[in-house]
Amino acid sequence: MTLDMGLAPMALSATTFNAGDKVRVTVDFKYTVEADATVHLYVAPYYTNILGKHLVDSCVGRSDVTLPATATPLDKTATVDFTLVPKAQSGIEDGTYGLAVWVRTSVSTSDPWSIPRPSAVDNQDSVLLVSGNPSSGGIGDTLTSIMPMLMMVMMMGMIMPMMQGMGGGSEE
Amino acid sequence: MKTLELNLGVIKPLQAESSSYIRGWYLDPQTGQSVYFDPDTQNFYTMQGGIYLPQGYMNTTPKQVPVTIGDKLKITISYQYSGPAITGALERFCIGVFGTFGFNETLVGEITRNLPASSTLQPYTDSYTFTIPNNVGSDWDDIYCKIYGGSPGVPQTIFGYENALIIAGLTPTVTGFTISDFVKV
Repeated sequence: MTLDMGLAPMALSATTFNAGDKVRVTVDFKYTVEADATVHLYVAPYYTNILGKHLVDSCVGRSDVTLPATATPLDKTATVDFTLVPKAQSGIEDGTYGLAVWVRTSVSTSDPWSIPRPSAVDNQDSVLLVSGNPSSGGIGDTLTSIMPMLMMVMMMGMIMPMMQGMGGGSEE
Repeated sequence: MKTLELNLGVIKPLQAESSSYIRGWYLDPQTGQSVYFDPDTQNFYTMQGGIYLPQGYMNTTPKQVPVTIGDKLKITISYQYSGPAITGALERFCIGVFGTFGFNETLVGEITRNLPASSTLQPYTDSYTFTIPNNVGSDWDDIYCKIYGGSPGVPQTIFGYENALIIAGLTPTVTGFTISDFVKV
């Protein structure tokens, strides 16, 4: 009797973070390279809609990783940090996000799904649960949203009596 | 061992070169192109858009040779010579980066050559073997060779190939790339 087993990477479990938290991501990989090299490790949360995956640009993190030359595949573990910049600072909104980590040999602002493709990429959907942004709908937000309408009403209130006055003069 | 061959054409002794050409226009027998010779700079020029441009010495490579660190690359040159005996002419073999501001020589090899007197053109070949070093750049893909100097001396004759090499193995190959953990710090 034989026991036939297959090993597959475990899916990451969803974890809740607060806006403003700093997150450290660990990646494992094997590599070969003819000469010592430095690669750039990127990380960012992403969201998905009908147009595909989109990075939250304000939360991209990067670290540089040195790879000593090796002709045979060598195991490597590396880490990269990123900050969940709060929405109030043009950052991330509360919600559920995927986590993407990718490797490029040159510095680039392109996302990992664009051409030129990165040397390696891993992304997992719905593993970042972001909360803790200040709730919207406070007195400040309400005032901000109705301010244009208030201004228009006030202007109308000033203009209408003036127009009525002009109309009266022309009848004489 | 990877190989590349370059043909420098016909080499003339310096005295013959200076007396052969006077200032003026000539027809290049190889290309049919009109070229202008300036005895002050000892250079041929082509006219493009009303501007005299020095005739280029870099050419489209007939083949691209992939090399990586530790590989040996043998570059062979050939040329013909007739004239008085010349001692100490230098054959220079270069790998480097060709750009807007000329050729940046990153790997250089030189061989000293004596050319015997001959009244008819005699063929010569020579070669130099480079070992691709650990610090090779991914843009070290151009090569050129020249022969110059000696006594009584040959005029500098240059010939090169652009993008003749493909430097392989400098980009890491990454496999099994997975996120293993993520935590708040």
